[in-house]
Amino acid sequence: MGIDLKPNFYTVSGINALIRSEVENNPLLGNVWVKGEVYNLTYHSSGHIYFTLKDDSASISAVFFKYANKNLKFRLEDGMKVLVSGGITVFEKRGSYQLNVLSVRPEGEGELQKRIEQLKKKLAAEGIFDQSKKKELPFLPARLGVVTSPTGAAVRDIIKVALRRYPNIEIIIAPAKVQGDDAAETIAAAIRELNKPVWKIDLIIAGRGGGSFEDLMPFNEEVVIRAFADSIVPVISAVGHQIDHPLCDDAADAAAPTPSAAAELAVPVKSDLVDEIEYFKTRMTNSLLNTYSGYSTALKNLVSKRIFRDPYEILNSRQMMLADIESRMINLMKHRVSSEKEKILRLPDIYRLQKKLLVQKKHDLELLVQNLNSLSPLNIMIRGYSIVIDKNKKIIKSVEKLKQGDNIEIRLADGHAGAVINSVKKEI
Amino acid sequence: MEKDKKLSQKNSFEQALKELEDAADRLESGDLGLDDSIKEFEKGIKLARYCQQKLEEAERKIEILQKGADGEIKPGRVAVKSDTGEIEDDGELQGSLI
Repeated sequence: MGIDLKPNFYTVSGINALIRSEVENNPLLGNVWVKGEVYNLTYHSSGHIYFTLKDDSASISAVFFKYANKNLKFRLEDGMKVLVSGGITVFEKRGSYQLNVLSVRPEGEGELQKRIEQLKKKLAAEGIFDQSKKKELPFLPARLGVVTSPTGAAVRDIIKVALRRYPNIEIIIAPAKVQGDDAAETIAAAIRELNKPVWKIDLIIAGRGGGSFEDLMPFNEEVVIRAFADSIVPVISAVGHQIDHPLCDDAADAAAPTPSAAAELAVPVKSDLVDEIEYFKTRMTNSLLNTYSGYSTALKNLVSKRIFRDPYEILNSRQMMLADIESRMINLMKHRVSSEKEKILRLPDIYRLQKKLLVQKKHDLELLVQNLNSLSPLNIMIRGYSIVIDKNKKIIKSVEKLKQGDNIEIRLADGHAGAVINSVKKEI
Repeated sequence: MEKDKKLSQKNSFEQALKELEDAADRLESGDLGLDDSIKEFEKGIKLARYCQQKLEEAERKIEILQKGADGEIKPGRVAVKSDTGEIEDDGELQGSLI
């Protein structure tokens, strides 16, 4: 009996597709952590990072795409021991598989990180990072102290930037090791040395260029942090880093992400200051000239006024006014005098007139008296008439008022006489 | 003590520069009469001269501290390439003071 070995043929593409599907759909392979060393590292111009991860007996290709590596906080280096997370993907075309890296951590970083956090907490409790302890950076440091390796990139960058900005600056370098086990002690010693008054340092820059997390470890050491904090001379921390800053940054009076940036922070641009001084001088000179020419113009205007140009002209016009007023006054007075004089001349006429009036009045009065005399009853009685009045002194004008026996009085021109009526006879 | 003096000297440059600016502002304000303007101008020119002197006070030099055989730390002048900032002859330099 034959065994029915029915061979199951795949195309190459088919088998690769099957493997891909099997691998990429396997949850165990989709999200893995792999520990190893970095080799054949390539930072590609596209932004992707390619490397091989290996241990003593095996290796695996790894690709760290740009979208995933943009948050990488340090630069990968060949030989670096790392912990990689990602997923396995299959490249069907070549029948190969690779690790698609999502994140990388330096191996052992976790432990160090924990130690740093503990140290940070302890020193913070002592107040070493307090803002109130921060010293102000000098505006114009004439003597700049630098603590770093005399052969590293950092010292070159600091010197280059400082000289470019301030060509006659004095730089005093206190050499220190910036990596390795004894680095921290040398850094602290250099900072302490530059604090000695004999060096007359105005400002210290202490740091190093960028490196791996472990490279920067000396700047996380307690002895260095204390040296930063205890420095009487202001210190700028200048440790090259991208995101995670070393603890000494917190203890420094100022911190920069690179040594070059620290030099820029420390040293002013001399030519800017020279220009600024010149600018102020120009402004002052222009202002003074303006003020001067302002006053000068005002003075010229004043001098050119008529009063200064021809003072007599004003005097003349005033004099004319005065003369005018004077003549008007004189005329007025003359007029007044002549009018008064005329009145006086007319006085005798008035007197004569008055006298004549008086004579006339006297004559009128005489006439009046004459008339009055002619009207008086006495004048009539002189002519032989008499008046009979009764005992009530009433004039009797009719016989009807009389009866026999009435006592009457007869008034004559020169006296009166009593009589008794004897008879009464009416005749009309 | 010496440090305090040094500090106040440094501050005095900044102070003088600020006063210089104030003098320019006051002169420009037009509030001053001619006599006061001249006084302010003279004061400003003195401040400007002082600031310029301060800027020239430092003497360009790069020194590196080195520990002698007797244990004493002394400064040694070094030449640098100003375009790169590189210290020339750095091979013989001590890497630290310890």
